[in-house]
Amino acid sequence: MTLRSYVISRILLTIPMILILLTMVFLVIRVLPGDPVLLHFEKNVDPDVIQAMRVRLGLDKPLWIQYFDYLFGLFRGDMGESMQDYSSIGQQIFSAFPATLELAIFSMIIATALGVVLGVQASKAYNRPQDHVIRIFGIVTYALPVFFLGMILQMSLGLGLHLLPVGQRFNPAMQTPVGLSIGSLHFSSGLYTIDSVLEGNMYKLVESLRYLCLPSLTLGLVLSGVFIRLTRSNMFETLRLDFVTAARARGLKENKVTYSYALRNAFLPVLTMMGLQFAALLGGAILTETTFSWPGLGRYIVDRINFRDYTAIQGAIIVFGIFVSVVSLVVDLLYAYLDPRIRL
Amino acid sequence: MVLIGIIIVILVMAGVVGYYLTMPTGPAVKDTLVMGTTDSVESCLDPARAYDYFGFEITQSLGSALVDYRPGATGSIDDIVPALATNWTVSSDGLVWTFSLRHGVMYDDGTEFNATHVKYTFDRGIGIEDPDGAFVGVGYGDIIQSVTVVDKYTVRFNLKIPFAAFLSLMAFQASFIVDPKYAPMHGTSWNISDVVVYTEGNARASNPMGLGPYTLKNWTRTAGKDYQMRLEANPNYWNASAGLPKTKNLIIKFYADSTVLALAIQAQEIDVAFRQLGPTDINNMKTNANLHVWEGTGAFIQYLCLQEKYAPFNETKIRQAIGAAINRSTLVNTVFLGQAQKLYSMIPIGMGGHTDAFLNLGDPNYTRTTELLAEFGYNTTNKLTFTLWYETSGHYPQSAQQAQVLKSSLEASGVITVDLQGADWPAYRGKRQNEEMPAYILGWYPDYIDPDDYIYPFVHSSGGSWIHHNYDNPQMDQLIEWARGNTSATARNSLYSQIQNLMVTDAPIIPLYQGAAYAVTKLKVKGVYLDITQVWRHWLVYVEQ
Repeated sequence: MTLRSYVISRILLTIPMILILLTMVFLVIRVLPGDPVLLHFEKNVDPDVIQAMRVRLGLDKPLWIQYFDYLFGLFRGDMGESMQDYSSIGQQIFSAFPATLELAIFSMIIATALGVVLGVQASKAYNRPQDHVIRIFGIVTYALPVFFLGMILQMSLGLGLHLLPVGQRFNPAMQTPVGLSIGSLHFSSGLYTIDSVLEGNMYKLVESLRYLCLPSLTLGLVLSGVFIRLTRSNMFETLRLDFVTAARARGLKENKVTYSYALRNAFLPVLTMMGLQFAALLGGAILTETTFSWPGLGRYIVDRINFRDYTAIQGAIIVFGIFVSVVSLVVDLLYAYLDPRIRL
Repeated sequence: MVLIGIIIVILVMAGVVGYYLTMPTGPAVKDTLVMGTTDSVESCLDPARAYDYFGFEITQSLGSALVDYRPGATGSIDDIVPALATNWTVSSDGLVWTFSLRHGVMYDDGTEFNATHVKYTFDRGIGIEDPDGAFVGVGYGDIIQSVTVVDKYTVRFNLKIPFAAFLSLMAFQASFIVDPKYAPMHGTSWNISDVVVYTEGNARASNPMGLGPYTLKNWTRTAGKDYQMRLEANPNYWNASAGLPKTKNLIIKFYADSTVLALAIQAQEIDVAFRQLGPTDINNMKTNANLHVWEGTGAFIQYLCLQEKYAPFNETKIRQAIGAAINRSTLVNTVFLGQAQKLYSMIPIGMGGHTDAFLNLGDPNYTRTTELLAEFGYNTTNKLTFTLWYETSGHYPQSAQQAQVLKSSLEASGVITVDLQGADWPAYRGKRQNEEMPAYILGWYPDYIDPDDYIYPFVHSSGGSWIHHNYDNPQMDQLIEWARGNTSATARNSLYSQIQNLMVTDAPIIPLYQGAAYAVTKLKVKGVYLDITQVWRHWLVYVEQ
């Protein structure tokens, strides 16, 4: 199978996957107790008014008609309106997604850098004090509840040392990064770090990074524990293989043997885990977002569940499902790149 | 690899140091105040739809009403002061209210305000009839027959019923005057689609007002929740000659929960933290030498509802027995750490007409509980057993803890067993609607500041139907309707005293506590007034030099 046909077939497979996911979510959330119609008025009990709201929200129709109405809307690119405030679901989700994406990217960078570097060091110092320290570090960071770790960092680096802000995404005294503007053309990614660079504003870049520090460090530390253990165990086995011994015997420098040869072979399981974790982060790290008041997708989904906002929940799950598919595809492609023995 | 990592770290540190050495100075503190809150506008800022606490808080800063409450108000009619109206009269039958308007008032765009704008606002709110909004929730259409323009600066309200709380209603946020230019009619008659909703990237189009101390400069929402608001002083504000607003620029930051809000004020990242800080955080901050904790009268109450549709609470004496077994001291001290007040009436403490009526039942009085239940065969070996429901999604403060304390309090009588059941707010609402819960805890923020708003929606057979506790007493209805229509304060107080006594006799609802209002600020922040109106007066708050 060629690369192009493989990618096309994976994309096509996404469609039935999303349909199955949507159908399950559509049915499950409607089984939950609680009527979104009633949440619109505290005191009004007029049956006509309640029925009118039910009609307005499209909940008066039979379930199967609601399902296909929603489906056909999706094909037209319309994710519907929020059942709580009637605003566009698409606009709501994609206003939250850049924040989630930015947090996910920086968290993964920290987690991967820490996890891989410490995992390699631990494998090379196997069963020696350095290995023990790194293993304990990995266990502790992984075992710590993310909100607890976040609070520790907030109180120490934010409240105690006043080095970093304790929450939110950007300095309220400054205008948020606007991205690149050339004449009437305008491009903004929604990621404040990138938009700051596009805008050419160093202050905004540093402010973006300052606000990103604590939440991404929190998530990154927690995730690094998994990567440390995976990298360590895989590297330990790989470093004892014959080709590594042969590379050393040929006089290659130890760093080249470790990182260019051994790590490349040991990295595949780590890559799988990275993909899984990144996809999960794209769904929103609710605890981290709440701890740091980070305006991302995780908080959005939880809020919408509390309002029984069916269209919003469905929309968010679909978007999440699509991104999981994309990430999964990218991971598979990276597999083939890292290991030529793997054929798509 | 390690060397590369070290180089990266050095570069980042150099960048950070360089940033701090060269960063431009921020805005002058005196001109800008930063406030943090966990609240959020639930729907929009249009008075025709907005029916949430924070929507009202912003409405008050962007608009004005005919009348207002003076800072430090206790809810008395004497606390109502002129705003857009300079004086008013009411006919002897209480059906006609005539307001003389202030001359020379301008909208933020320079348009002159007059009586047509008042008529427009109320015709609009009643005409749109948004079921989400306060016009329907409070029942403006049941109270106001018509609004007429007498002349350019005189407007008349013709009421369907005499309504003693009409002035309070005029001070209520839903009565704030809109700007027709930003709240137009799109068809030939008012329609729900005429409601002004949030418009991404266009703060002015998201705000239909313009007579308030501030204009909305910027409003950012992310994922349907407020992220940040910026307000700027309105140069055309009718009360600018009084030096208002005191702070030119206001930035409001929205936090996900009280913990990070508490950290933000302690880290001095914000100047003011208001709603909702937890009791533990408030107590901790009282000992913080760098912060000032402001405390004021709250208007939020919580109460226990008893379902009269079926046994056991179809029996009056059993309901009285429950009322007698409530230990409010434990509730207030254990759950709220003393930051609430024991409440013995549905009318809050400090409001005209309040009496400690439910103290007659006891607090607690287990002897009375035992005697009352004994009449129905309940005793220590045959206990009255029922399920107490509470909500679990944070709609009310410390719901689970409250329920646990109430359970302990009731079971301490020795003749009651309570099973606890929780449900998140949507499920809780559904169960209330379906009348599935024998006993359930609810809360209430006032619409307008008048005893009527604490009585009519709860124990009037029509007004209280939304509670679904199935209480219906014609004598109560009559007393409430007399109190609603009587403009004599003395007469009303007497009627509300009778109403509260009757509530103790019938015990359909058991008041539990009244919350206090708290704000935490930096030491130099002044001008904070926390009173029973629950109005946060942004325009009075400033940072002292």
